[in-house]
Amino acid sequence: MKILIVGCGRVGARLAQALDREGHEVTIIDSDAGAFDRFASRGVFDSSFRGEFVVGDGTDADLLRRAGIEDADCFVAVTQGDNRNIMAAQIAQHIYHVPRVVCRIYDPVRDEAYRKLGLRVYCPTTAGAERVRQMILEDD
Amino acid sequence: MYVIVIGGGNVGYYFSRHLLERGDEVTVVEKNPARAEWLESQLGSVVMSGDGDEMAFLKTTGIERADAVVAVTGDDEDNLVALQLAKRAFNVPLTIARVNNPANVAIFKALGVDQAVSATEVLLGALEPTVTAEEGVREGR
Repeated sequence: MKILIVGCGRVGARLAQALDREGHEVTIIDSDAGAFDRFASRGVFDSSFRGEFVVGDGTDADLLRRAGIEDADCFVAVTQGDNRNIMAAQIAQHIYHVPRVVCRIYDPVRDEAYRKLGLRVYCPTTAGAERVRQMILEDD
Repeated sequence: MYVIVIGGGNVGYYFSRHLLERGDEVTVVEKNPARAEWLESQLGSVVMSGDGDEMAFLKTTGIERADAVVAVTGDDEDNLVALQLAKRAFNVPLTIARVNNPANVAIFKALGVDQAVSATEVLLGALEPTVTAEEGVREGR
């Protein structure tokens, strides 16, 4: 599958490497030109990584087109900014009709609001709190 | 009419001042507390310091009875989210965005914002009213 990832942070970099290893065609976008090298030097990207790294704003439709959004199968928005992710994911879903879109939103309130509007949202705040609660209360 | 202006930078300040002068009811939402204080010294007690994309905060601005919300921060994504929440969560009848990237005029409308205004587009139009932006680029102007 052809997969676009916006945001080369801890999650984006790790996800890109894992998907590339599984044989998917990965493009990772970040506005910081040094982001890719930073994770490569930490060993997150290994030398066999065949994916593409694009420098630019993941909410810019022209840049997304150049990065290949028109024939992407999946789109993942995992930048540090909730609003940035919300905007990028909506462009992917409603303008370019990418079949599978996942959007990370830290704020549980915005998570709920955009879930209602049809976005597929991953909220690390609620997911993390629930997981910790389980680890405390269900210790077997 | 009651207008909520999100973003108290230069655009937000002059826009709000004009609305107040013509007698509209205005609330200016500004994230930066120091800037909010300055705005209040100029405009009076019509300024609230907070985040235009926080639902709980938006409720305190009386957004449910607003006739229009106008988002004029310098960040397109923040303007988009504030207006989508205004429209979808609070049923505001008129939502207007300032956008920096001219391509976002069409995108914002497709994503449910009523009006989007791009200064870049206006400037290009002023520079050469009869030539479209695309032709201007092709001719190297």
